[in-house]
Amino acid sequence: MAGIEFPAELQKRMEETAPVDLLVGVTGAVDVEALRVKVGRLRGLALDGEGSHPSRIAVAYAGVDSDDPVTVTEEGVLLARYPMPAAAGEMNLWRDVSNVQRNVLALAAGWQARACMVVYSDLAALEPETVRTFAEPVLKGGIDLLMPIYPAGKYDALINKSLLAPMSRALYGRRVRWPLTADFCAGAKMLEKLADGSRVKSEAGLLWPANLVAMQGGQINQAGLNVRHAPPGEGLDLNAVVRELVGSLFEEAEANAALWQRTRASQPATRYGDPYPLVEQEEPVDTRPMVESFVIASQNLEEVWRLVLPPATVLELKRMARLAPEQFRLADAVWARIVYDFALAHRMRRVSRTHVLGALTPLYLGWVAGYVQEVSGATAQEAERRVDQLAKVFEEQKPYLVSRWRWPERAV
Amino acid sequence: MWNQIGQALHDSMARVMTQIARLLPGILAFIVALVILMVLGWLFAALLRWVLTAMKFDERIGRATGSIAELSPQHTPTMIMTRLLFWCFVVLGVLVGLSAFGASSAEPGVPEYIFAYVPHLISAAVLLFVGNVLARFLSRSVLIGAVNLNLTYARLLALGVKWLVLVLTVAMVLDHLNIGGVIVDLAFGILFGGIVLALALAVGLGSRDLVSRSLERETAKPAEAPAEQQKVRHF
Repeated sequence: MAGIEFPAELQKRMEETAPVDLLVGVTGAVDVEALRVKVGRLRGLALDGEGSHPSRIAVAYAGVDSDDPVTVTEEGVLLARYPMPAAAGEMNLWRDVSNVQRNVLALAAGWQARACMVVYSDLAALEPETVRTFAEPVLKGGIDLLMPIYPAGKYDALINKSLLAPMSRALYGRRVRWPLTADFCAGAKMLEKLADGSRVKSEAGLLWPANLVAMQGGQINQAGLNVRHAPPGEGLDLNAVVRELVGSLFEEAEANAALWQRTRASQPATRYGDPYPLVEQEEPVDTRPMVESFVIASQNLEEVWRLVLPPATVLELKRMARLAPEQFRLADAVWARIVYDFALAHRMRRVSRTHVLGALTPLYLGWVAGYVQEVSGATAQEAERRVDQLAKVFEEQKPYLVSRWRWPERAV
Repeated sequence: MWNQIGQALHDSMARVMTQIARLLPGILAFIVALVILMVLGWLFAALLRWVLTAMKFDERIGRATGSIAELSPQHTPTMIMTRLLFWCFVVLGVLVGLSAFGASSAEPGVPEYIFAYVPHLISAAVLLFVGNVLARFLSRSVLIGAVNLNLTYARLLALGVKWLVLVLTVAMVLDHLNIGGVIVDLAFGILFGGIVLALALAVGLGSRDLVSRSLERETAKPAEAPAEQQKVRHF
């Protein structure tokens, strides 16, 4: 079972009750009473289309009791407890979540589930309609992975918009808005592959479901999910967030270089359900602190940037540092090439990896400053189009990455 | 008189030539031993590289060597292992050469003295290498950390850390080589103490206002920050 072992008692009970149609796995600590209420609402849910029999659903959550690890609720839903994997130790944003997600997926594989829906521990996504929206296309339509599209304002999830999503799209060829999510639904074919953490080389290895399924050639769709989770890792500074998320994406790129170099243009990921609601943010944002960070970095980090970036890009950054804050813009093509150069430096270890990612943080803030100024008067819809335009530029610049990846010493 | 001078010069020349003639076989033996061991080292290093590459050594211990890679990013574990083996052979060659030199030399005291000094030289070289790498790594860590904290004097901090580690390393190396004796300890103590005293005076007297303004700014920051943080969410 993908290298993850469960207690013998749980294993035995799973074998006795297998197979199930859908396993809903809650990641992280949970309020059991609230969970029971939510589970009660799943009664009689038929996920194989109208008129079909009620689906056999199991809900798993992290916990350790001495009682039977698998019980059947009054509503006929199997309720299972799985042991929480050991915490990653130091404070982290997504590593623990990824580990629990892998456990849930391994549990679903062991239970011979036809689909597994992973939901975040706040249980916001554990509603009958949401479960139907996510599980039905997988069970009935044969989709391999259904990813959520969260409602976000134009100033929300900026690491995702500026780097994670566009780079994932350019590399793995799927237009997925949120490649790293707390909620998703995967089909039986993909369960073991997603749960397999052995290919992850470092401790920081996060689970990128869309990228993994894209590499397997699986079918990925998206559906609007109207929930807003409180992000974990409260108190983590931006540098630590960049180190964890971007570092993991770069590691994935290194591990899968042979695959993504063959991927050409991206394919759209079909969207299910109603168009996702966008959050309008009208309040102006002061970009001066971000520009200040960028300027301080350009005065001090030139020696590190020169080890990572080609001279033309360093020159461009020096030019930008002299601009007035209100004129500050980082062109999409320059930003895309910067990200690709940092991915290459991360792979080549020209500078230690911690330093590579630390030196990227002020550049990211520079991009944020430019973006915020550009979309300050725009609607959320227009800002989304702006982000989409950036993603296209990442795709256009992919030959630059491929070329540098293959011939890193060649001058640019 | 000229005859006596000529005789004295001739005798001294003959003595020197005899000494050189006595030393030559030893020097030759030293060179031969060194060259043979270097060739052997090169061969064994190549063999080790081949074996480690076949074993995918770098990939296998990628996780465990994270810290090594952080300190010496441009060297893969395989490269480090092969170089280590090669230099072990070189050191062995030097030792065998010295032994051969001692055996063929009329003055056995010299090689023994060198033999006794070799471990000091090796550990000093290791200290110098580690100190250098550490100074570079710490300096860069401080630089990047300080920049991400928006400190305008980041480069100054990084430079300070780098020289502090380098001075400490050089003092340790000299101490290891028994060069300078107490003078090095004393000079290092004065230098280090002087730097700390200078910093304390600078902060205490010269930059009192600057430091207090900086601290005030830092304490005022958290009150403003959340409002901006709520507007822009990175994740």
